[in-house]
This record gives sequence, C-alpha cells and structure tokens, in this order.
Amino acid sequence: MSTPTTTTGHAAVPAWKEWILTTDHKRIGILYLVGAMAAFGIAGLMALIIRLEQMELGMQFVESGTQYNGILYFHGAVMILAFLIPGLTGFAANYFLPLMIGARDVAFPRINAFSVWLFYFAIVLALLSFVVPDGPDIMWTGYPPYSVTTSANTSMYVFTVHLLGFSSILGAVNFLVTVIYLRAPGMGWNQLNMFVWTTIAAFVLQLIFIPVLASAVTLLLFDKYLGTHFFDPTEGGDVLLYQNLFWFYSHPAVYVIFLPAVGILFDIIATMSKNRIFNYKAAVYVGIWGTVGISGIVWVHHLYVSGMPDWIRLGHMVTTLLISVPVGILTLSMWGTLYKGAITYNTAMMYAASCLYLILLGGLTGIPLALPSMTLHLSETSYVHAHFHFIMALFAAFALFGGIYYWFPKMTGRYADGPIATVSFWLNFVGVNVTFWPLFIIGKEGMPRRYWDYEMFKDVQIMGFYFEDFHKVATIGAFTIALGMLLPTINFIYAAFKGKPAPDNPWNSKSLEWTHTASPPGPGNFGDTDVVLDENWSPYEYQK
Amino acid sequence: MRNFLTAMTALSVGAMASTQAFAQEVRNPAAEWEELWNTVIIDITIIGVIMAIAAVWMLIKYRATSPDQVGTAKRLTTVQAISFALIPAAIFMADDFYLAAKGWTVWNAYRRVPENAIEIKVTAYQWYFEFEYPDGTETEELKMPIGEPVVLRMTSEDVLHNFGVPEYRVKEDVMPGRITYIWINPVEAKETIVQCAEFCGQNHSEMTTKVSAVPREEYDAWLAKIAAED
Amino acid sequence: MTTDAETATVHEHHWEWSWAPLLVVAGIFFLLPISFGFYFAYDDLLMTAIFAGLGTVLLLAGVSIWVHEGLTQTPLLAGVANVGLPIFILSEIFIFLSLFSSYWMMRLGMESWPPEGTPHISNTIPLVMTVILVSSSVTAHMAEEKLEHGDLSGFNKWWIYSIILGSVFLGLSLYEWSNLINEGFIPATNAYSSAFYTITGFHASHVLLGLGAFIAVLIPALSGRTNKTFVSCVSVYWHFVDIVWFFVASQIYFW
Ligand code: HEA
Ligand code: HEA
Ligand code: CUA
Ligand SMILES: [Cu+2]
Repeated sequence: MSTPTTTTGHAAVPAWKEWILTTDHKRIGILYLVGAMAAFGIAGLMALIIRLEQMELGMQFVESGTQYNGILYFHGAVMILAFLIPGLTGFAANYFLPLMIGARDVAFPRINAFSVWLFYFAIVLALLSFVVPDGPDIMWTGYPPYSVTTSANTSMYVFTVHLLGFSSILGAVNFLVTVIYLRAPGMGWNQLNMFVWTTIAAFVLQLIFIPVLASAVTLLLFDKYLGTHFFDPTEGGDVLLYQNLFWFYSHPAVYVIFLPAVGILFDIIATMSKNRIFNYKAAVYVGIWGTVGISGIVWVHHLYVSGMPDWIRLGHMVTTLLISVPVGILTLSMWGTLYKGAITYNTAMMYAASCLYLILLGGLTGIPLALPSMTLHLSETSYVHAHFHFIMALFAAFALFGGIYYWFPKMTGRYADGPIATVSFWLNFVGVNVTFWPLFIIGKEGMPRRYWDYEMFKDVQIMGFYFEDFHKVATIGAFTIALGMLLPTINFIYAAFKGKPAPDNPWNSKSLEWTHTASPPGPGNFGDTDVVLDENWSPYEYQK
Repeated sequence: MRNFLTAMTALSVGAMASTQAFAQEVRNPAAEWEELWNTVIIDITIIGVIMAIAAVWMLIKYRATSPDQVGTAKRLTTVQAISFALIPAAIFMADDFYLAAKGWTVWNAYRRVPENAIEIKVTAYQWYFEFEYPDGTETEELKMPIGEPVVLRMTSEDVLHNFGVPEYRVKEDVMPGRITYIWINPVEAKETIVQCAEFCGQNHSEMTTKVSAVPREEYDAWLAKIAAED
Repeated sequence: MTTDAETATVHEHHWEWSWAPLLVVAGIFFLLPISFGFYFAYDDLLMTAIFAGLGTVLLLAGVSIWVHEGLTQTPLLAGVANVGLPIFILSEIFIFLSLFSSYWMMRLGMESWPPEGTPHISNTIPLVMTVILVSSSVTAHMAEEKLEHGDLSGFNKWWIYSIILGSVFLGLSLYEWSNLINEGFIPATNAYSSAFYTITGFHASHVLLGLGAFIAVLIPALSGRTNKTFVSCVSVYWHFVDIVWFFVASQIYFW
C-alpha cells in the first residue's frame, strides 16, 4: 500500500483516519468489501444452522420455531441486502467504475462515504436483532398482517431496509452523475466496459424502485406502531397492497444483483480470452436495457398464489417469460466472447466458467416458475429455493468471487491465486451442487419453504429415498461450501500481505483500470496526466 | 395495423371457442400439471444442454497456447450484429409463446371450477384449518367423495396462510378480508395432507392436517357421524 | 505517486477524508432506528431521550462540518450537485407516487368516503398553506436572483423571508394536526386518517428538511460565505416540495 502522502499545507494524517474516515472511492470500496464479506460470513453461519436443523425430522438445534424464523429472517435479508447488493454495487462499482471510466473519484466523494456508513450501521442494526428481546422473525419479505401482529420488533427490519435503501439511492445518484460527467475525455458511450453498463443499469433500477420498497415498509411501521390501516382489511386496507409494493421493488432488485454480476463476468471473460465482446451493442441495448425495461412489469410472478386476479397473473406470465429474450441475448454475447478466444485459465476464469453453468441452471429453472399453472404447486417449496440459490446465491456470488480474484492484484499488488484458491474453488463448486440439487427434487414433491420440520412428509419417498435423506445430503453440501468459503477468506487475508507480487497489468488487459493505474492506485488514481482517449480505443480491443 | 387487429380478433374468438369446449368436461389439473411439467422440463433441458455443450466445447477448444496470443473473433458487420440479435430473439420468443400457451391451457383447468362442484368453506387460523361442509358440519380435516369435484372457498381469521396440497399439485394463499378458491378433482381413493405454505409464525411448519378422498357412502357416513356427535 | 502529489499544482493527490459523513450517519442512526425502537417497541422513555439527544448532537455536528467543508474545499467537479439533486428527486417522486397509490387503492376500494369517524376538515387552512408555500418559493427564487447579482445582504433578506414562510407553513400544519387530534381524529381512526397523517406528515418532514437546509445555508451566509451550487440545490429542492404540496392538497383535502 502506498504510504500516506504529505503535501505542503497538509499535516501528516494518521493512517487510520485516512482509512476509516476516507472519502476516496477505492478505500470506500474496500470498506464495502469488508462489510459485505462479514455479513456473508455471519449469514452463512446462519445457513449452516438452518441446514443442521432441517437435516433431521423434529427440532434439534433451535429452541423454538420463532428462533428458527429469526435466523432465517437474518439469513435471507442479510444475504440479499447486506452481502450481494453492497458487494456488487458497493464494493465492485466503487472501486472499479471510476477507474474504468478514467475518473479520479466519484462526483460526490463525501456522499459516497455517507453511503458506506449507512451500510455499516444497517449491518449493526441487523445484528442487534440477535441481541434485543423479540428480534424480528418476519422473513425478508415481512408480509403483513403477521409482521404487524407479531410481538417481534418489526421496526428493526424496517429501519434496516431504510438505511440500506437510502445508501443505495445516494449511491445511484452519485454513480449516475459520475458516469455522465467524469468519463475520460474521448470516451463515448459505446466504449464503456460491460461492467460499467450493468452497474449503471443496476443503479437506475435502485433509483426508481427502492422508493417503493421504502414506502411499503414505512407503511408497515405505521400500521404496527401508529395503528394506521393500510394493510388492515377490516378498515378498508388491503394485505395484497404490501405484497405488490414489496415485489414491485424486490423483483427488479434481483436484477440489481444479476446485472452487475453479469458485467463482472463479461469483463473477466473478455480479458481472459483476449477477445472483444460479441455483439456489444445488442448486449448493451437489448440485453441490459431490455432487462431493465421488462423488470418493472413482472413482479406479480411472486404473487401467483396470492389470490391476484386471474388476468393479471396471466399477463405477468407472458412478461416474465419474455425476460428470457434480453437475458438470452446477454448469454449469447457471453458465449460469443469465448468464440475464437485465447483463453487463459486462472482462479478468476474458473469462477467465470462455472458461472456459465450456474446462469443456465438458475435461469432456466425460473422458466417453470414463470408459468402460474406450474407455480400453483411449485411456489413456496424448496424448488424455489433451489432456483434462486443457483441464480442469485451462487451465480452472483461466484461472479463476485471471480471478480475479487480478478481484481485482487489491482487492489493489493499481489496475486490471490494458488493451490488454496484452486482447492476452494472445487470445494465450492461441488458443494453448491450437492446442497441445492436435492432441494429441487424434494421441492417438486412439495417440501415447503420456511419449515424447520417436515413431519408430515415422513413417509413420502422419491426414488426410494425419504425427504430426510435429501436433506442430509444438502447439509453435507452446505458444510462443503462452508469449507470452500472459509479457505479463501484466510487466503485473501494472507495474500493481501504476503502473496506473490503482481505487476500493474498481470492479465494483459486493455481495460483502463489495468492499463493506466498502478497497483494499487494511489490517491487521484491516474497520477498527474489525465486520461484522454481516442475514438478507436476500446477496453476490449486486443487485435491491434 | 388492420390486418393485425383482424388476426387478433380471430385468435381470441378461437381461444374463446376452445375454452367453451373445455368447460364441458371435468378436467384433472393434477394430471395436467404433471404433463406440463414434463413438457417444460424437456424444453429447458434442451436449451440448457445445447448451451452447456457449446460452452464446454469453446472453453476447451479455445485455450491459449502461448501467453501473448490474442482472440481472433472478427468484428461483426451491422447486418450480422442485427441478425444475431433479432434471430435469437425471435427463437426465444417463439419458445416463450409456446410455453405460455401450454401454461395457459393448464391454468384454465385450475381456475375453471366445474359447475357441480361441492363447495366447502375453509377458514385458517394460527395454526390450523377449519372446514365447513355444505350441510354445515365443521371439522378439522378434509374429506372428499371420489369422482366429485370439490371447490374450497377460503379465508383467514388472522394472518396469511396458504392451503397447499402437494398431492393434488395445488396451493393458494388464504388471507383475511378476501376469499380465494382452489378446486380439486379427487379421481381416486387417496389419503394425503394439506400443509400451510405461507409463512405464518411460530408453528408455521406444524400447520397441517389430513386430506382424503373416499367413496361417497363413506363420506356421507362420516359427515352424519360428526353431525350426530355435535 | 508520492512525488507526483508533492509537485502537482493542478491536482493535489492525497487521501481525502472527512468526519462529516460518519457523524451524520451516526446521528441519524441514534435519532431514528434506535430512539424509535426504545420508544415504540420497548417503552423506554429514558433511553429514547438519551439516544435522541445523542443523535441530534452528532447530526448537528456532522452537518456543520459538512457545510464548512463544502464551503472551503474545492471539489473534484464543481457544479454537478444541481444535476445530482434532480436525480435524487426522481427517487422522491416515486416515494410520493407509492404513497398516493396506496391511498387511491384504499379509497377506491371503499363504498363510502370519507369513512365513519372523520370530522369536518377545513378547506381554508390548506388554501392558506398553499399561498404561503408558493410565496416562499418565490422568495427563495428572489434570494437566488440577488445572489446571482452578487447582492449578499439582499440574498440574506429574501432567504430569511423564505425561512419564515416555511416555518409558518409548518406551524399551520401542526396547528391543524393538533386540532384534529383533539377532536379524536388520530392516525388509527380509519383509512382516511391513515392516509391523511401519513401523506401530510411525509410532506411536512420534507418541509422540515428543507428548512434545515435553508438554515445551513443561512448561517455561513450571514458571515459572508456562500456557494451558488448549494443555494440553487436548496431552492430546487424547495420548489419540488412546493409542487408536491399541490398534489397533497388536491388529493387529501379537495378530492
Ligand atoms: C439474482 C437473482 C434472480 C434472478 C436473476 C432471477 C431470475 C428469474 N427468476 Fe427468480 N427468484 C429470485 C431471484 C432471481 N430470479 C428470488 C430471490 C426468488 C424468491 C424470492 C422469495 O420468495 O423469497 C425468485 C423467485 C422466482 C419466482 C417466484 C416463485 C414463487 O415464489 O412462487 C419466479 C416466478 O416466475 C421466478 C422466475 C424467474 C425468471 C423467469 C427469471 C429469469 O430472469 C431468468 C432468465 C434466464 C434464463 C431463461 C436463462 C438464460 C437464457 C437463455 C439460455 C435463453 C433461452 C431461454 C429460453 C427461451 C427460455 N423467480
Ligand atoms: C445471496 C443470497 C444467499 C446466499 C449466498 C445463500 C447461501 C446459502 N443458503 Fe440461503 N437463502 C437466501 C439467500 C441466500 N442464501 C434467501 C433469500 C432465502 C429465503 C429466506 C426466506 O425464506 O425468507 C434463503 C433460504 C435458505 C434456506 C431455506 C430455509 C427454509 O426455507 O426453511 C436454506 C436451506 O437450506 C438455505 C441454505 C443456504 C446455504 C447452505 C447457503 C450457503 O451457500 C452458505 C455458504 C456460506 C457460508 C457457510 C459462510 C462461510 C464463510 C465463512 C466461514 C467466512 C468467514 C467468516 C467470517 C469472516 C465472519 N438458504
Ligand atoms: Cu399457516 Cu403457515
Ligand atoms: Cu422475480
């Protein structure tokens, strides 16, 4: 790491201040990464408790249903809101988007710091739910009337959402202005990295949809603590109102996760196969923006069994299916980028390659769910779990991990690759399949979600095995993943200080963050000369 | 535009005619679900396998042989670029509409309640279901006469619940302030369970009860017995 | 890099840092989630008071540092705040839209409106409030105009007028609320009261925030320090709050 610089007029500043109180986008990015990984670790431990509890019939590890619900609440809410969204749109976007567009920082550095602090305090608030009496037990969806009538402290859920939402909205404002005004002179819209495009798209989604979630949970807060009647049918409110508002945000939110993950993948694949993005314009304008466009009109697919009018469910069946068109275009571009490439393998590329499998498996298993007639049975079963763990928990998380390995030399000046990285990759890859395939199978036979016990299924057999057997396999898988995640955590910390030193551009990429900055970049990113580009420059042009 | 409108009208008239034909017979949603499942799974498996093979093939074939080798893909011409967007988009859309049409048909089976269906009222509480039969009998388990469609009109007295019967491949939320319905066609004798499938608090995973399809005589006798007990 | 930073005249490269964001967030954190939890969920008045006090102090400290730094340091990119603000306002619009659509859902689903238990709600007060808020927008604009011509004392004068008008608006709102509450019309009364207090309250909180921003501009301006971008942001925000009021008033009082 470069030592703090002192210039005339600036007294030497203690290093901790320059880290903790930083307004530099790279250091804020690192703060996001640390926070997100901590959140992932804790929520992952909760997942292990869940798996242990579900492993056998009856109650073994938790003391009450309420405790299980509290743990599952934490797992779902924190994984989505405090791990993936901050990991992708906080860490990755913060650190690399300004570098990729040749900016010295974001447009509003202090607001950026403000966002990261909102995120940290939100994690603190979420963690407090284990400490306070009556922590929230309402699942990450927080549906009323339960969330209003429960004795648990729903306000913690609401404020966690508020803090994170506010953080994301400000992030969105910040990055949109940054991309509009701070691109290096000469950089046109069609010369942006895919990651930059996907991040912009994610921020546009955040900007438009988070407010709706924020008002939904605010109304929840008022209903519970001030006695208003928004979701109370006896006084003219409606329980479905909440669900509509909630999913109006939370479906697009899955693309807030999905798109930046896809962007990271594109960048890894293009760099490692030294190839241009296949059909860049289609990927950007049809793929990314098509997904954004459709994402706002499909939310009712989460309400297929909620008693919505039939015609709405059918309408959303069609729109939901149509998402496969832009996403399909994106996958084709991803595949095409491999075509006639010159692929080098390293840990980042291995994660990227496995993501190709995960995106297919997770995405295609969304297709049965898109048909309301299928979902009438599949909804609320562990089939849904398997679907979204594959596409979200695994695809997006693997893309993020790939990204960490890919950018590790940039952030630290050292490689994170090595035997531990390879072993842990395989542990993870095998682990996720062992964990979540069984959930597909029992889900199709009706294993419900959010159950700590499944006594009523004790005699049901599939291919000669009981549900319990499948759960046992899944638990073994989960512990394999745990090992596969623990190892790289240690590895990252070790490599950051002791790893093999890397040059400024170890992968010979053409992208700005590699070609124009030191590893790690100092304050101001690009030294004294501003980056200026010509119209022939492209982050993906290797053939010249 | 006019052509388009005419085509749409023709389509919808056709759709209506065919749904009317369907309305005559009593369908079996659970069986149709299974068929649809197979169709959809085959469909997505084909897509998945093709794409996966392509990926694996390229990942192996295009490995770099020397560190400074670069990719050799050509830049697409405008025509190529547009074709590579439009043709796949058309194919994907075709598949989507195919699946949508299939899904829609089965959807009608689920939502069109046969006219002669026996109507049973379901009320959900934390954490049990209560059934009220046409004759006013109230029980905590569901029995249906074989071969006679049953429609459940459901509501909740407290929070959200969900009436899910995995064997019959059906579920629907039960909520306060609204009445939702599902219908079941019990074609053969069967003893199974209904479980609550919408999160409802502490004992959510213990909210379950028996569902059985029995011959008409047994059903009548059972109802009579319960009525006598009260 | 190190040497760059020492010789550079155009860009001074050193790690930037600031206390302001952390303090503001900590202030918000104690003031809202923590105090709210103690008050509503755990009925602990003492803790509520302690954390609300702590939060307020941190918040004020953070804001004043922030304003100070905003006035003394040259940003990387000057003058983009008035691009950022409209983007943020877009997001605010969606909050109001969702609140309104919740209100419409409830209202259109009811057989009779207003529901039982609603007292007579005067139309005069909102009319007066509208006039006041619109005038405050005008005075804010006047202040901006003065600043444009370098007339700082004129700016201060019109700016103070705006603050006074804004406070009167807020005062009227409180007056109306307290009257209604005295008549027994509280948030829990019925569907209308739910929407009424939520929407007017949410708007009022924006007015309050706007007033805070006005004061944050005013204090340094009194001793001669201003920043045009900052001023124009505050006034754009104020105009937004003003426009939203038309929707609030027309939907809540006159429909
Ligand atoms: C990153 C997160 C993410 C992503 C990207 C997706 C993507 C998709 N999801 Fe998923 N989903 C979740 C996260 C995600 N989902 C979560 C968290 C839940 C549960 C929430 C909860 O209840 O707690 C959920 C639940 C969920 C449901 C509701 C189930 C229920 O609760 O009853 C449905 C229903 O339609 C659905 C569908 C889809 C579809 C159609 C896609 C599509 O976007 C997928 C598109 C991709 C492909 C189709 C593959 C690639 C394309 C091709 C190879 C082209 C050719 C393909 C065809 C022509 C078909 N998802
Ligand atoms: C990004 C999202 C994400 C991720 C990554 C995961 C990861 C995992 N999930 Fe999660 N899950 C959800 C999102 C996610 N999940 C959501 C949204 C729900 C629905 C909640 C609801 O119904 O409301 C859910 C529900 C859910 C259930 C359903 C429970 C039920 O319905 O009753 C199960 C059960 O198997 C499960 C399992 C797992 C497992 C085994 C992992 C594993 O992949 C986890 C592996 C990770 C670890 C084991 C951590 C190891 C790391 C370390 C040890 C690092 C060191 C630690 C520190 C430095 C502190 N999840
Ligand atoms: Cu009732 Cu879950
Ligand atoms: Cu969705």
